[in-house]
Amino acid sequence: MPIDPTMFTIAAIVLWALGMLLFLIAGERKVIKWLAHGSYLAGILVLAVFTWMLWDILGRPPMRTLGETRLWYAMFLPVIGYATYIRWDYKWILHYSGAVAIVFLAINLIYPDNYDRDLMPALQSIWFVPHVIVYIFAYALLAAATIVAIKGLIIEYTGKQWTWSMQLADNLVYLGLGFLTLGLLFGALWGKEAWGHYWMWDPKETWAFLTWIGYLAYIHYRYHKPKKLTTAMWMLAGAFIILMIAWFGVNYLPSAANSVHTYTQ
Amino acid sequence: MSLNKTEIKPKKKPVWAAPWGYTEGWLFVAGLLITGLALQLVAGGLSSSALAWPVNLYAGLAFTGLIVFGWVFLRKNSLVSWLGRVPAAVTSIAMITFLVLIMGFTLQEDAGNPAWVQSLGLSNMTSSWPFLFGMMFFMASLGMATMKRLTPMKGRNIGFFLNHAGLYIAIMAGLLGAADLQRVTMDLYEGEVVWGATDRQGHYKDMPLAIELERFNMEEFNPKIAVITTNDGRIVSESISDMFEIGKGHRGNLIGWDVEILEFHKMSGRIDGRFEPVVDYGAPPSALVRVTDSHGSQVEGWITSGSFMYSHQLLQIDRDHSVAMTIPQASHYSSDVVIYTPDGELIETRIEVNHPVSVNGWKLYQYSYDDRFGKWSSSSTIEAIRDPWLPVVYTGIFMLIFGSVYLMTLGKAPEKTEEQLAAEAGEPSGTEPESNIKGAA
Repeated sequence: MPIDPTMFTIAAIVLWALGMLLFLIAGERKVIKWLAHGSYLAGILVLAVFTWMLWDILGRPPMRTLGETRLWYAMFLPVIGYATYIRWDYKWILHYSGAVAIVFLAINLIYPDNYDRDLMPALQSIWFVPHVIVYIFAYALLAAATIVAIKGLIIEYTGKQWTWSMQLADNLVYLGLGFLTLGLLFGALWGKEAWGHYWMWDPKETWAFLTWIGYLAYIHYRYHKPKKLTTAMWMLAGAFIILMIAWFGVNYLPSAANSVHTYTQ
Repeated sequence: MSLNKTEIKPKKKPVWAAPWGYTEGWLFVAGLLITGLALQLVAGGLSSSALAWPVNLYAGLAFTGLIVFGWVFLRKNSLVSWLGRVPAAVTSIAMITFLVLIMGFTLQEDAGNPAWVQSLGLSNMTSSWPFLFGMMFFMASLGMATMKRLTPMKGRNIGFFLNHAGLYIAIMAGLLGAADLQRVTMDLYEGEVVWGATDRQGHYKDMPLAIELERFNMEEFNPKIAVITTNDGRIVSESISDMFEIGKGHRGNLIGWDVEILEFHKMSGRIDGRFEPVVDYGAPPSALVRVTDSHGSQVEGWITSGSFMYSHQLLQIDRDHSVAMTIPQASHYSSDVVIYTPDGELIETRIEVNHPVSVNGWKLYQYSYDDRFGKWSSSSTIEAIRDPWLPVVYTGIFMLIFGSVYLMTLGKAPEKTEEQLAAEAGEPSGTEPESNIKGAA
C-alpha cells in the first residue's frame, strides 16, 4: 500500500468531533467559537491534504473505487454543512453533516481500500474528474437536504419544538439538482467519446435518471404546493433512497449484471 | 414551534371539470398505462426502425407543431391549459418514474426473464408502448410549459427556457434519432484493407470508407503480486486487499508474509533458471522475489505471469501456498490506421480509447482486440458509429448545462423566491409565502 490512510482518517474524525463539541459548548465565548471553527476546518484540510497526496502517489484520480468516492463524500459534506452555517446561519446542519462524514470515514477505516494505480483506459478521460466530483458534491448537498427533511418529519410526528425551515431544504435541492444535472450531462458527453453513445440505459444510468427525475418532481411539487410540507418531505426521503441505490445499490442489483459502471472492488 | 399545517381547503371540484388538476392527471396516467399494456399484448413491442428518416423528422415536427398550435389557438381548452401546468408535469414525471423503476429492477434482455415479463414489454422497456405513451405525455407537458413561459417573452425567463426547452430538444432528438443511429464494428488485421462492417445482428454492411491497420499498440500497468493456493491457483481472498504492484524494490506484507521484489523485468526470457530482459515476441514480465515468513525463514525465486507463448511460474512459500504474478492490465491501447475515403482522401491517424476519430459523418472508436494475445495482438476491432441527430441532442445538452447553473442560483434569496414562485404559480392563496419557521438561530 503506497500510503496509509489511518492517521489522516483518525485526525479528521477527531478534529471534526472536537469542532462540533466546541460549537455546542461555545455559547457567546469568542475564543472557543474560533477554536471550533478552526478545528472543524482543520478536519476538512487534513482530509484534503490526504486526498491530494493519494492522487499524487497513485498517479490517477482517486475516484475509482467505492471507498474512494466515500472519501470525497466525507470531505464535501462538512464543507457544505459549514457553508450552509455561514451562509444561512443554521448551526445544526454543521453537526449533522459532520456526523455523517465521520460515519463514512469510519466505514473506510473498517474496510480499508486497496489503493492501486491501475485505471482502465475508458476511465482515462478529461471528463472523469469533473463527472465524479460534481456527482459526489451533488450527493452531499442532497444528503444535507434529506437531513433537513428528516428533521422536519420528526417535528411533524413527535411535535418537537425545534428550529426548522423547509426553505433550507429547497435551497440545498436547487444547488444539488444543479450539480446532479451537470454530473449527468458530463457523463453523457464522456459516454459519447468513450463508449460511443451519450445514453445507453446502463443500469447506473437508469438509476441516475430516476434520482434526477425524483428531485425534479420535488421542485415542481414545491413550486405548486408550497404549503404541503409533509408530502414534500417524504418525496425528499424517497428520492434519497433512489440516490443511494444509484450510488452503490446498483452494484448488488441483478439487473446490473452487465453494467459498465460497477465499482472495482 | 411546530410545522404550520393550516391550509385553505378549496371546495371539492368534480373530476374533469376545469381546471384539471392531480386527479385528472392520475386518471390520465392510468388510462395511458392500460392502453399501452393492452397494445403491447396485442401488437407486441415497438421497433425504432419504423421511425427511420424522414419519418422521425415529420413525427417530431408534427408533435411540436401540435403543441404550438394548441397553445396558440386552444389555450382555453381544459387539456391544453392543464398540460402547461404543474399537475401534468408531476403526474407525467410520476408515470415515467414508475416505468423506469420497473426497468431499474428488471434485466433489460429477454433471456432470463419470465414469459409474462417479456410479453408486457417490461424487459424491453424503452421500446414498449407504455413507455412511448409515458414519454409523449411527459414531452407534451414539457413542451406546453415551455410555450406558456415563452408567451409573452420575458428576459427573466431565460433560465426556465434553457432548462425546459433544452430538455425537450435533447429528449426529442434522442428518441427520434435512435432510429437513424448506426453502430457497426470492423475487424481489422495488420496490413489488410477492410471496407466491410457487421452490425449487432451480424448483418454485413459496406462502409463508405476503408481502414487499414498498420499497427496495434498496447501499454500495460505493472503486474501485481498475490498469495494463491497452490493446487487450485485461486487468489487467497484476504490477499486481494493486500495485493501490491510489482516494481524493483517494492516491499509489502501479504497475509503475514513479508514480500520483497529484488528484480523486475517488463519483458524477459528464461535463461538457465533465471530471467533476463529481452525484447521478443510473447516475452512475459518476470520478477525475483524474496518471501520471509513470520518465523524468519526465507525463500527466494523467480515468478512470471507467463504469456500466450510461455507458461507462468509460481514461488512455493509453504505446503499449500505460493506467490504469483497477476496478468498485467492494459493501461492504453490504440490502433495506428490509414483511412481511405471514396473521394480519394487518405488519412493516417491513431484511434485510441476515449479519442475517437471522425471521418465522413462516422465516428471511429477503438473497440477491442484479440485478448488471447494481449499486447501482441495483430488484430483490432474498430466500432463505427453514425448519429446524424447528435448536433441537435448536443444543442439541448448545452442549453441544459447553462440552465443548471441558473438552477443553482435559485436559492439565493430564500423568502423572496418562495413568494415569487407562489405568485407566479397563480396559487389562489395570497397568504404568507410559506410556513418558513425560522426561530432564533
